[in-house]
Amino acid sequence: MNQEDAIRDDQPGQEERPYSPLDERVIPYWRLSGAVGWIIPMLLLFGLAIGVGGAVFGHLRLSLFLWAAWGVGVIFWTWWYPPRAYAAWGYRRDGKVLELRSGVWFRVVRLLPLSRLQHVDLQRGPLERWFGLASLVLYTAGTQEAAIGIPGLPDAVAQSLRDELVACGGDDGV
Amino acid sequence: MPWPKACATSWWLAEETTVSEDRSGTANGQEGPRVPPVLPPPLSTGLSALPVSGRLHQLTLLIATVRAIKGLALPAIVVFLSGGGRIFGMLILMVLAVALLVAVVRYFTFSYRIEGGDLITRQGLLSRKERHIPLVRVQDLRFEAGPVHRLLGVVDVHVETAGAVGIEAELSVLARKVAEDLRQAVFARTGRSSEAKADLRQDGDLLGSLRLRDLVVEGLTSNRAASILVLVGAGMGLIDNVVPRPVQQEWFERVGRGATIWFSEANPARWQEIGFAVLAVLLLSIVFSVGGSILLFHGFTLLRRGEDLYRSYGLLTRRASSLPRRRLQVVQITEPWLRRLFGLAAVRADTAARKSGGEEEKRGGRDVLLPLVRRKELANLIPVFLPDAGPEPERWERVARCAIRRATLKGMIVCLFLVLALLLGPLREAVWPGGLHAFWPLALVPVLYWINRRNYAHLGYADGGTAFRTRRGWLSRATHIVPVRNLQVVVLRQTPFDRRHGVWTLKLDTAGQAFTGGGPMLRNVPDAEAHRLAGALADRAARTQYRV
Repeated sequence: MNQEDAIRDDQPGQEERPYSPLDERVIPYWRLSGAVGWIIPMLLLFGLAIGVGGAVFGHLRLSLFLWAAWGVGVIFWTWWYPPRAYAAWGYRRDGKVLELRSGVWFRVVRLLPLSRLQHVDLQRGPLERWFGLASLVLYTAGTQEAAIGIPGLPDAVAQSLRDELVACGGDDGV
Repeated sequence: MPWPKACATSWWLAEETTVSEDRSGTANGQEGPRVPPVLPPPLSTGLSALPVSGRLHQLTLLIATVRAIKGLALPAIVVFLSGGGRIFGMLILMVLAVALLVAVVRYFTFSYRIEGGDLITRQGLLSRKERHIPLVRVQDLRFEAGPVHRLLGVVDVHVETAGAVGIEAELSVLARKVAEDLRQAVFARTGRSSEAKADLRQDGDLLGSLRLRDLVVEGLTSNRAASILVLVGAGMGLIDNVVPRPVQQEWFERVGRGATIWFSEANPARWQEIGFAVLAVLLLSIVFSVGGSILLFHGFTLLRRGEDLYRSYGLLTRRASSLPRRRLQVVQITEPWLRRLFGLAAVRADTAARKSGGEEEKRGGRDVLLPLVRRKELANLIPVFLPDAGPEPERWERVARCAIRRATLKGMIVCLFLVLALLLGPLREAVWPGGLHAFWPLALVPVLYWINRRNYAHLGYADGGTAFRTRRGWLSRATHIVPVRNLQVVVLRQTPFDRRHGVWTLKLDTAGQAFTGGGPMLRNVPDAEAHRLAGALADRAARTQYRV
């Protein structure tokens, strides 16, 4: 992909490991969890738009329009955004440093020296389990970046990555 | 009951005169102090065999009573004055009784001991609570003694650890001697190597102390009102020198006319009153800030023995803390412009303990490692605080030049909003009937551009191998120093605007961040350089050990 090339080109001359992508199933997972999270409030708001906006204040058309505009935004976030977020996500381990990148518009690259790893959580919510996914949360002693998440990893990959990271970071004799 | 005698030799309660009057050794900042200051008693190395355990001092009850009465004094007065009747009076008495009961329970159930490398506190009547604090995790051991405490020869002891928000354990109150023993026991057992132990027997180095004159300067230069007065004075002087008198007269008249239209019913007598009131408030605030500085930092000393730093200060409430220097995460040197005029700076530092009180901490003076220090002396002091810091860099790297343009653009947008507000706001008729005058904020844009150019020239970073530094600010400066071994995560961020300029924001995350606002942050680092720098820092950090 274009972005990936751009980031690789930043450090010419060096032999770069490619970024590992997340599992592709994370796209439907994000879409589904987004839909579950948004559709109920959408329906509630529809009732509110007709009931309060229309009946009480007499601005039925305006409130329906606002509701629809908001609905377009929700569809945008639940349908259009996840594939882009998936494409932007990547991680790679380079020696003792784990590098994570994410963000479609606001890009973030986090470099985590593995000797700073305090502990690792492996999380599997009900929806994630259904898709066979798991996410890792990496904890450091830092402040703003004390907990760093990697979502949407295949179950087995998440477990082996966790073991790999802990084994790599664990030789720090604190 | 046998009250302990006040321990006159206790290092941190020593009178100021014994410590700070002789500064001949440190005055030029080159050689160490000749006269050894009052020191904490050397840690005896054979101490680790002795068991340390104990309970609170009997005076706990008295101190708790005094504290409760202090807390209830205001409501009691209010009730008394408003003739609030018996019910409220009873209520206040009940609160007092409860506070006393709590103190009695605490006194009879609280115990502490050091066992197997842990400080163990036990407390509680019905539900026993036992807390084990590994000594290696103790960040900071603080003693605090208000006037009443000092009269009675007791102290509050606060134990702070990494990761905990605020105080991990509070031992209130202990006799001074007992607290001193506890300090020795804690710091004798934090797992030192043999040469460090040998180091402990020698006397400490005085790193900094403040005399009365320094405190006045500290108070004056930390005061915003004072800065304004100096600025106004300097501005007047400048105008007087540069601008001819008749022009000045005309200016004053114009300003006067404008102001007259603004406050339509203004008369000269009222103006004088307002002027005097403003001046009085300014002077009062200066007096307060100087007084506050003397109250807080009277007799300030910072000294080092072996790996530990000892701070003690305070006129009425005496505070002392001891912290191992390897716990310092980030050191920040701040030079507000008024202090820079005198070549002075303040040094702040973070330990790995999290932020707790905010304002409370600031009032306690905990946020500053050194409230006031000559800039020249810092070259010698920084390597003492951070052995990894290395020498001050000779060359500062710069970020991308677009920083000037972008900062000016931001200022321009603010100016445009100001113009809009003047054109459309409620003042448009009253102030400038002509309308054209509303565009004066745009005249600031060249000034902004110039300021941003100056700022850019003084913005820089230096990667010294074991430590990373940033500095920023043209008039008021701030320098951050973070040892690479304290880096937790290196973060690069890019907004859509950043992408257009091909730059990133570099942020170094560290533990603690209670007092310095965290590790350094650099905006507008060019693409390739940002990735190279971040990769190099993270790679180096990965090869070091982080020890709290």
